[in-house]
Amino acid sequence: MATLIQQIINGLSLGSVYALIAVGYSLVYSVLLFSNFAHGGFLVIGGYICYASLRTLEMGIWTAGVLSIVGAGVAAILTERLAYRPIRERTNVTLYLLIASMGMSIVIENIFVIVAGGRFRALPAVIPTSPVDFFGLATTSAFDLLSLAAAVIFLWGLQLFLSKTRWGLAIRAAAYDLRIAGLMGVNVNRLISIVFFVAGALAAVGGIFLSVRYTLYPQLGAITIKAFVAAVIGGLGSLPGAVVGSLILGLAEMLTAGFISSQMRDLVVFSLLVATLLVKPAGLFGKSVSEKV
Amino acid sequence: MSGYAEGIIVLLCINAIAAMGVSLLTGFTGIFSLGHAAYMALGAYTSAILTVKYGLHFLPAIILGAGVAVAVAYFIGVPTLKLMGDYYAIASIGLGEAIRLILENWQSVTRGARGYPGIDAYTTLPVALAFLVVLAIFMFNIINSRFGRACKACRDDHVAASLLGFNTARIRVTSLMISAFYCGVAGALLGGFLSFIQPVMFDMMKSTELTSVVVFGGLGSMSGCILGTAVITLVTELFRPISQYRMLIYGAVLVIIMVLRPEGIMGNREFVSWIKDPLGRRSK
Repeated sequence: MATLIQQIINGLSLGSVYALIAVGYSLVYSVLLFSNFAHGGFLVIGGYICYASLRTLEMGIWTAGVLSIVGAGVAAILTERLAYRPIRERTNVTLYLLIASMGMSIVIENIFVIVAGGRFRALPAVIPTSPVDFFGLATTSAFDLLSLAAAVIFLWGLQLFLSKTRWGLAIRAAAYDLRIAGLMGVNVNRLISIVFFVAGALAAVGGIFLSVRYTLYPQLGAITIKAFVAAVIGGLGSLPGAVVGSLILGLAEMLTAGFISSQMRDLVVFSLLVATLLVKPAGLFGKSVSEKV
Repeated sequence: MSGYAEGIIVLLCINAIAAMGVSLLTGFTGIFSLGHAAYMALGAYTSAILTVKYGLHFLPAIILGAGVAVAVAYFIGVPTLKLMGDYYAIASIGLGEAIRLILENWQSVTRGARGYPGIDAYTTLPVALAFLVVLAIFMFNIINSRFGRACKACRDDHVAASLLGFNTARIRVTSLMISAFYCGVAGALLGGFLSFIQPVMFDMMKSTELTSVVVFGGLGSMSGCILGTAVITLVTELFRPISQYRMLIYGAVLVIIMVLRPEGIMGNREFVSWIKDPLGRRSK
């Protein structure tokens, strides 16, 4: 029983980190209707900025955290400016954006391979990982509870931003129809920059927690595959869907690792994806995806 | 001919076969894939196991290997391709990972991560060339057939295509299955060429390489993708000393081509039309 509760907490904590990544990815998808495969790159950029500011510049975790969030956000804006905007302005073929994002993800990953080296790095012990007694039911790590709390705070912040501010309203309009939002006087280019900044910033938070949980290395971005799958399970483009999908995925992964075998967890993730597509193709919260002709 | 040059030509044939498969799917049907190395892995392992363990002749083994790839493609294509959007792209990454995991962990059959040794070196130069020629002729006929035009219609406007009475979901799945067949054959030939296969040979990097080659050669041009394969295979050989930059260059090439010339080196034109009309006046 204690193991079960412990695995559930682990799963929710991992799922909440996935949620941070999946929500940013889903936000970009909802506005531009393409899978931004470079999303994992933003996560790696955030992780390395945090690492460098902690190790080389010897800052505290709060400054380092803010710096990496802003850094990854700016990197996301730059990625959009350099690679996506020229394509976006010329054609509406999303296949080209998809390929360019794949290219950007490889470029970012390999810049870090060349500049920082491919080895695994551990962040200094800035986030406590000491064991905590969880209401006498199970022993869990303080890190798991902290990452769960951080994810809740950031997702709640995003929810406030989207529902209470003018730009949030504009983003919701753009998710409905980008072209019409533009016709209604929204500055589309600035809106897309804001969306990318938010996506990059959330990915950086996820990146910091992932590099504490595992270690930091250039291929860490590959973990966004899980976030993509979570977004599909929840319904592509739906933000609540992305959160719920991520939690389901985190739980499924940790319960498999705890009770069956840790090698099977990725296989379970993939089976969940196929099962969802077979049973409910639009995902749990998705809009209907097949156009009736 | 020296063994090295012969090896490069065989490798080129194998890469061209795989690239033709990806080109049909990405260039002609407009479906992005990041897991085509998985179909190569299925072809390679099936034919390796059939020839080594059951002593089957390599020809039926290659065909059966490709058949397994086609079956898996059908299984994964039916739920994902009837949806518009990036569902197949995401599922294909998952498929690639899942196949690699199965190959690594199913020790009794695949011998796990250490790889599968002792495959007969059945992929000689004539065999590889013969496969390339036959499959190329077949592919050029496909893209000029009714089915090929239906694929292009699905790529350009799937609503219009279904209004014209095409079953777009079925066309997309069929295109994926043909594409998996080509990659399965290429994988089986690769196993016979190297005599040794390993799950890590068919990772995400291989899938990316396949897509880069097709994008470089031109989305929507079959001869472009063969030309792209030739250029990239040769460039890879020439730049072996700086191989740590190889992936960086692939990535940058993808982005730069998409930004500057998304139609790739050949655009959507073929060699034949290019020879008849070098400036492309007639096609405009």
